[in-house]
Amino acid sequence: MESKTVTTAKNYPDKPITLIVPFGVGGGTDLVARLLEKEAPTQLGQPLVIVNKPGGTGTIGWNEVAGSTPDGYTLGMTSIEVILQPLYGPTKYNYPTALDPLVQISELSMVMAIKADQPWKNLNDLIEYARQHPSAIKFGHAGIGGISHIAGETFAKSADIQLEQVPFQSAAESTASLLGGHVQVIVVTPASVKEHIKNGNVRVLAVAGEERLTDPIFTEIPTFKEYGLNVVCDNWYGIAAPKELPIEIKNKLANGFKEIINDPEFKRKMDTLGLKVKYLGPKDSEETWINATHGLTKIVQEAGIVEKIKAQKK
Amino acid sequence: MDILNLLLQGVSVSIIPANLLSCIIGVLIGTLVGVLPGIDTVSAIALLLPFSYGMDSTAALIMFAGIYYGSKYGGSTTSILINVPGEAASVVTCLDGYPMGQKGRAGAALAISAIGSFIAGTIGLIGLTLLAPPLAQAALAFGPPEYFSLALVGLILLSKLTGTSTLKSALMAVIGIILSTIGLDSLSGISRFTFGIDELDRGFDLSIIAMGLFGIGEILTAMTHADAKPDIPTVKFRDLYPTKEEWQRSITPMFRGGIVGFLVGLLPGPAATISSFISYGLEKRCSKHPEEFGHGAIEGVAGPESANNSAISATMIPLMSLGLPFCGATAILLSGFMIHGITPGPSLITERPELFWGLIASMYIGNVLLLIINLPLIGVFVQLLKTPLNILMPLVAVVTLTGAYSINNSIFDLIWVIFFGILGFLLQRVGFEPSPLIIGLVLGPELERGLTQGLIICNGDIWAFITRPLAATILSLGAIVILYNFVTWVTKLNNKRKELNVN
Repeated sequence: MESKTVTTAKNYPDKPITLIVPFGVGGGTDLVARLLEKEAPTQLGQPLVIVNKPGGTGTIGWNEVAGSTPDGYTLGMTSIEVILQPLYGPTKYNYPTALDPLVQISELSMVMAIKADQPWKNLNDLIEYARQHPSAIKFGHAGIGGISHIAGETFAKSADIQLEQVPFQSAAESTASLLGGHVQVIVVTPASVKEHIKNGNVRVLAVAGEERLTDPIFTEIPTFKEYGLNVVCDNWYGIAAPKELPIEIKNKLANGFKEIINDPEFKRKMDTLGLKVKYLGPKDSEETWINATHGLTKIVQEAGIVEKIKAQKK
Repeated sequence: MDILNLLLQGVSVSIIPANLLSCIIGVLIGTLVGVLPGIDTVSAIALLLPFSYGMDSTAALIMFAGIYYGSKYGGSTTSILINVPGEAASVVTCLDGYPMGQKGRAGAALAISAIGSFIAGTIGLIGLTLLAPPLAQAALAFGPPEYFSLALVGLILLSKLTGTSTLKSALMAVIGIILSTIGLDSLSGISRFTFGIDELDRGFDLSIIAMGLFGIGEILTAMTHADAKPDIPTVKFRDLYPTKEEWQRSITPMFRGGIVGFLVGLLPGPAATISSFISYGLEKRCSKHPEEFGHGAIEGVAGPESANNSAISATMIPLMSLGLPFCGATAILLSGFMIHGITPGPSLITERPELFWGLIASMYIGNVLLLIINLPLIGVFVQLLKTPLNILMPLVAVVTLTGAYSINNSIFDLIWVIFFGILGFLLQRVGFEPSPLIIGLVLGPELERGLTQGLIICNGDIWAFITRPLAATILSLGAIVILYNFVTWVTKLNNKRKELNVN
């Protein structure tokens, strides 16, 4: 049995590698996977076959990855939801322990945006208005329990104001609702509103990261931390394998993906998608997962999101 | 005249050989995607994305757009021939297209649907050319309360599309809404009615249910008279195309469908599908012989098939001028744009005019190409109906099941296709029409989402909906129609009573 594993590892990969995207076609995760697909044959030695298994905010796809044979031929794209989903109640697998991160590809802080014709010039104006008019401000996000929801709730909690959350299905829908004036505030990825900022329709008030964004359009925008509010919500994309992947295969994959991700052309393509490349190897990714689990567990409990979702589950 | 100049510039971009070739390839693939059930636009474009990396970005986008609008041309083919909707937007074409085929008028139905698609597609394009930025702004005025009002009025007006029993139709619509609640709630992420089965989290795909109810259901019905020779009369060449009367009956529905489809296409949601249902309902109301609907009324093919094509042009408006995809197919188009380094949005028209106008010009050309491709194909498709049922039906089953599997790569879905097939067969036997169920399934989520989001926006006050001018207008239009129906019903009842008294 052992010798068989060794030979498989030696010959690996001798057939195409399936990369499960646990979200629908055309989403952020899907786009990143398709950019990887392009370079895979040269860097991994075999093509990547992308299979979309959407549904359950990623859980259906991740269940399949976690349940598959750890032979390196089934991998899965991951995002922050890998950490978030198990926090809201038992999932079939506890993903942070059932999956083995290979690489992190990109990391991006969420931003808080308003329509440019609103009177609030900065975050303090918004907070002041919200204090005087409790629950008058509706904030739109891309799904209860998602990272954009958590960012908004954490902001409300730390600024001690009342915001009414309005769930949407996607960042596109919450952005449309902001532009139409149906909600006053949204939390989205920078890419979703970039064009509307250029056009003068949207103003970003704060960045939910440790540091400011590097994109020239966003460099002037302070972080929540600069306002003295502890709101840090980063989304990231990565690749994971089922646990107990043989170490030789794991190294081969990690090195191959590292080459792809650090290629300047890949960086340029990611830039046009509005995504910042931030490569992390298997060790560092695992650390990020552990830190994120600790951080987010605390946040969702403090913001009362866990209670909210549990109450709805009853 | 400025726009005309820009458009002419666009034409010069789109007739560069490489771009023209991309356009031809795009519409050919689109036709194929439309004809084959289960293979939808989204997965077709996704599949082809990696092949486009080496292409020039304009050519690639022309090709992707071609697949998108091309797929709505072919969608009606299988609806008319074998009662299996090739695209979700062609479900409604089964209602009258298939009966037309059974009467030997498949050729006419196919021709009307191709010509209607062309006319409406062009109407949509003219709208896109002239009005894109202002219309995109207007569409933003629709918020959740307005979507709720639209879905509510839509459900009431559309649930009784066919059949005679209001009660049976309403029942089917309600079952459709209930089915739409199964799975992960799109807003809260909570699993509902899944009984712990992970696969149910995804909910029921519209195509799965439609393929089951219509396609597999029809196969089962055919099995009950398996020995029968196909009762399609031999069609002479000149019978392939619509008669003068069929023409006259179709031309107004085509234009009406074109306008309705365009308006619906501006709003979020599965616009092409919803627009085809709305157009069908509208045609039935406008028709002088509504009793023919469901038994092969050509208006029931002409209107919806036109509507879903102009809806496609309209869905390009929020995508290109706001950068916001309002449905799955435009989301994947957005990916196509982004991967090629182009960000659609308010600045696209000014920053990349050659690309914007080139794309639009290519859509005009593509529509003409589609008409040229589709008309001769009608003769070929109609021949298909000469195949004996015992050979045709197993083939239809294979195509349907393969298509159903390919939607989510899921065996689980196959079980449901067969389940809904048996259900569709049984429902037909006892006189229930499956189409209201589809309407419930399509509009149910819109209704629920609009209500949830709208209530939060209006601070939990449902009456605030009618203080919003747009929502109030939509709701009162609905109320007027209901009132009108009620009054005519009472008058009819009175007249009957009087007749009885006289007798």
